[in-house]
Amino acid sequence: MRGESKEEKAKEKELERQTYSLPVGPQHPMYIEAENLNVYLDGETIVDVDVNVGYLHRGIEELMQRRNYLQNIFVAERICGICSGIHSMTYCQCVENLLGIDIPERAKYIRTLVLELERLHSHFLFLGVVGYEIGMDTVFMYVWKDREHVMDMLEQVSGNRVNYAMPTMGGVRRDIPNHIIPSMLEKLNHLEKRTEYYRKLFLRDRTIIARSRGVGILPKKDVERLSIVGPVARASGVRIDVRMDFPYLKYGDLDWKVIVEKGEDSQARVMVKVLEIFQSISILRQCLKKLPSLDREIKTKVPLAIPKTEAIAIMEAPRGELVYYAMSNGTDRPERMRIRTPSFVNIIYSLPIMLKEQQLADLPIIVASIDPCFSCTDRMTLIDTKSGERKTVDETYLKRLGERRSR
Amino acid sequence: MIFEILIYPGFVFLVLISMIYYGILRKLAARMQSRIGPPIWQPILDFIKLVGKEDLNPEQAKAGFTLWPFIAITSVLIAGLLTPIAGIVPLSFTGDIVVLIYFLAFGSLAVYLSGFSSSNPFGVVGSMRGLIQMIGYEFPFIVSILVPVVAAGMLSPFLINTLQIHYGWFGFVFPFAAIAYFISILAKVEIPPFHTPGAHQEIVSGYSTEYTGTRLAMIELTHMIKLFVLISLGVALFFGGSADMVTFLVKSLVLLFVVTLARVLVARFRIDQILKFTWFFGLVALIDLVRVMVFI
Repeated sequence: MRGESKEEKAKEKELERQTYSLPVGPQHPMYIEAENLNVYLDGETIVDVDVNVGYLHRGIEELMQRRNYLQNIFVAERICGICSGIHSMTYCQCVENLLGIDIPERAKYIRTLVLELERLHSHFLFLGVVGYEIGMDTVFMYVWKDREHVMDMLEQVSGNRVNYAMPTMGGVRRDIPNHIIPSMLEKLNHLEKRTEYYRKLFLRDRTIIARSRGVGILPKKDVERLSIVGPVARASGVRIDVRMDFPYLKYGDLDWKVIVEKGEDSQARVMVKVLEIFQSISILRQCLKKLPSLDREIKTKVPLAIPKTEAIAIMEAPRGELVYYAMSNGTDRPERMRIRTPSFVNIIYSLPIMLKEQQLADLPIIVASIDPCFSCTDRMTLIDTKSGERKTVDETYLKRLGERRSR
Repeated sequence: MIFEILIYPGFVFLVLISMIYYGILRKLAARMQSRIGPPIWQPILDFIKLVGKEDLNPEQAKAGFTLWPFIAITSVLIAGLLTPIAGIVPLSFTGDIVVLIYFLAFGSLAVYLSGFSSSNPFGVVGSMRGLIQMIGYEFPFIVSILVPVVAAGMLSPFLINTLQIHYGWFGFVFPFAAIAYFISILAKVEIPPFHTPGAHQEIVSGYSTEYTGTRLAMIELTHMIKLFVLISLGVALFFGGSADMVTFLVKSLVLLFVVTLARVLVARFRIDQILKFTWFFGLVALIDLVRVMVFI
């Protein structure tokens, strides 16, 4: 966040004198969503980066405080178009924590299954985007063709491709019938074969290596200092995964491992996701194997009004740790909702470190390699109408405001 | 003579077949990427559509903004007239291969100057990259062309074409020069891995970011004609030449297929990697040049 203190303003002026700035976004072919990176360049080398988020702010938290718990499931689901499942499930988990109830065993398996399917489709999407960003459209086309199998599976399970609407408070809304399990297993076999091909491709193809190895290095000490989460942290050798650290749903009972790579560069971040696809496929197989033997109950009854209390729910989204905090006040609406999304941490803090001293040509692959999700990142932006100055409100700024209030 | 310059194999034929060739390239690439792809006449439809669109002038555009795209297309069209297509050359005189090299280079240069004149940061970065890329590919291009020229002892692509029909393929005799020539086709037409000057993910559309309507159509057409001219020059200089339309189509389409393979198989190079890559192949082509000068 530049442009707040005098020193920073002077630094900005100095930068503008030495270099020229290139506005990457808010509308740019690199992004699917709107975001602005102001890149200061010296020739082709990046000197500094200004990350401006806030173009997609929709006031979700306020929106959720005005609706009842049941309506909020659908609001949460629409926070992000890619990780829609994890948002609604973490929300439901959070409300169940408020009530202190447990959901049926079968519902837990179905939730785990949908979450892993979502991780699969998100990771396939990521691999395709990486191929596109380094100018290799063929990879993009191939990967997204295979991703269709995952979308088909999601449609088989939930009837929808993007917003699955699977969870509800106290369980899930739809059961998975036994007769679709064989065809799902078949698709998983096909996907495993294809992923093996992509693993070899991203590991061995010489042009891909030339563009990704040693590019966008994020050192382990910076990851620990800035509390980066998810696959980005795991690619820098930090063993962090909510599924393993605080097991929720059925992850504690299933057999799987946390993937850690030591490369710290873009290639390591790609490899983490490729290997996680294998893990997801294995988890899915275990779920599908277990499912027919379980009791058919998928839902417990929940009251609509919740007594005054507070609760938190943490889950591992495809991009990292996702935290929901809820405070109830005895009515059917939450008093306060707070969502902390993984991309927010990863984008704001890690991008300036990774992009410094890199080539402009490497910017797309570096930005893509942290798999940014802007729609869940955006916070409130203040615009001073007199000077036209814009500020994005982040945690430090809010903390400072709080300190000033309490003085 | 007038018919040859204006209709066949002159301007009209050149423009149409270049678009069709580009359409074939797009269709082939789509099939290789397991897509259906556009019909092969799609570039013609695109061209007609673009010509019908509004021309926008950015406020800060410099004087040559309108001029450069037209200079670019004129240059490559003249280069096309000097190239043997199916054994016919509309314009031919002594030493025309030097003029051909000059017009091809000037076609690229005019396109990059159009980026500078648009005053858009993306356009300027794209043009800078393009000029750096030119430093890279002109060397292997000229060295690889010199090899058949020195071997044949004449400066006319038409005569080299005829010579090859009788004495066999220069591509087999000088494989290094042929490879360097192929690499410089990719680099000159900005086909992957050399699509750095117009890299969408980095600099939107590079030099053509500010262009719309007819002028954008001219820039696009420049690329298509350049591709066709380079392919037919390749057939004339390295791949046995062609005396009739059938041989020409077969040979040039095979070359186009190989170009398409390169397009779908590789990722984009960074600009520093491009320089290393192209100069390496330039030096490789020098081996053939030394061979031809010392031994033949």
